Amino acid sequence: MSDLKFNIDKPDLPDEQINKHKDFKKLIYNYQTATKPLYKTPLYKNKKVFIVILLILLVMFVIIEAMEKEEGSDPAKIEQTK
Amino acid sequence: MSSHHKSDIEIQQELQLIAAAKENPARFGLLYDKYYKSIFVFIHRRTDDEELTADITSQVFLKALINIKKYEYKGVPFSAWLFRIAFNEINMYFRKNNAQRVVSLSQNGMVQIAQEAELDENAEGINQMMIAVKQLDALELQLIELRFFEKNSFAEVGEIVGITENNAKVKVYRILDKLKKVLSKK
Repeated sequence: MSDLKFNIDKPDLPDEQINKHKDFKKLIYNYQTATKPLYKTPLYKNKKVFIVILLILLVMFVIIEAMEKEEGSDPAKIEQTK
Repeated sequence: MSSHHKSDIEIQQELQLIAAAKENPARFGLLYDKYYKSIFVFIHRRTDDEELTADITSQVFLKALINIKKYEYKGVPFSAWLFRIAFNEINMYFRKNNAQRVVSLSQNGMVQIAQEAELDENAEGINQMMIAVKQLDALELQLIELRFFEKNSFAEVGEIVGITENNAKVKVYRILDKLKKVLSKK
């Protein structure tokens, strides 16, 4: 039972201390941020989306490069061009 | 947290507030004001950490606001729905962080358990029960806390934990039987 701590008859925090954490404006701001559609968020502001797109572009670039190299070194195709 | 036992008029007024918040999130403010303290206290009793409680409370209200359109009245007050979100958020926090759980007990709650289980209500009996309660596992303690220390109805306990009212009743009475057995061995 060491993962449990028991408080017995411990009073709740006073109202003033609880109310100092209350912030409805912040809640609405967080709500708007959380529910804003992805397409309305500029890419550079969404790190995850930005990184994913960057990775896709990088992979596409590497594949195209590799294909071009392969085409360039294919002897049959070189023959044909002659 | 005595949000239960509401009159029909109070329930209707609350349903109007919920309907307004579903239409316009800015109108969630009245519900936020009404339940902020009870949700904060509910979480603080289980974490005993003010800053952490403030963080989890803001997550609870954010999730409530995001999901309020899905809320349907099923015979238990709106507060039980909020407490359910809070209950899940607290459990998620403890699972992720492997942190120490806090259980808040009170002498009054112990007396209520003693009455319900037909056990000794004298000081010695209560002390023995305090020792026995500490032997319960985390889920059992959560049910005991909700029922006897926070005085929720079985319907609310069920809603908060995510089980049926009958299941909540069966589980709570099993825990009382377990306590009786532990105490009878002494």
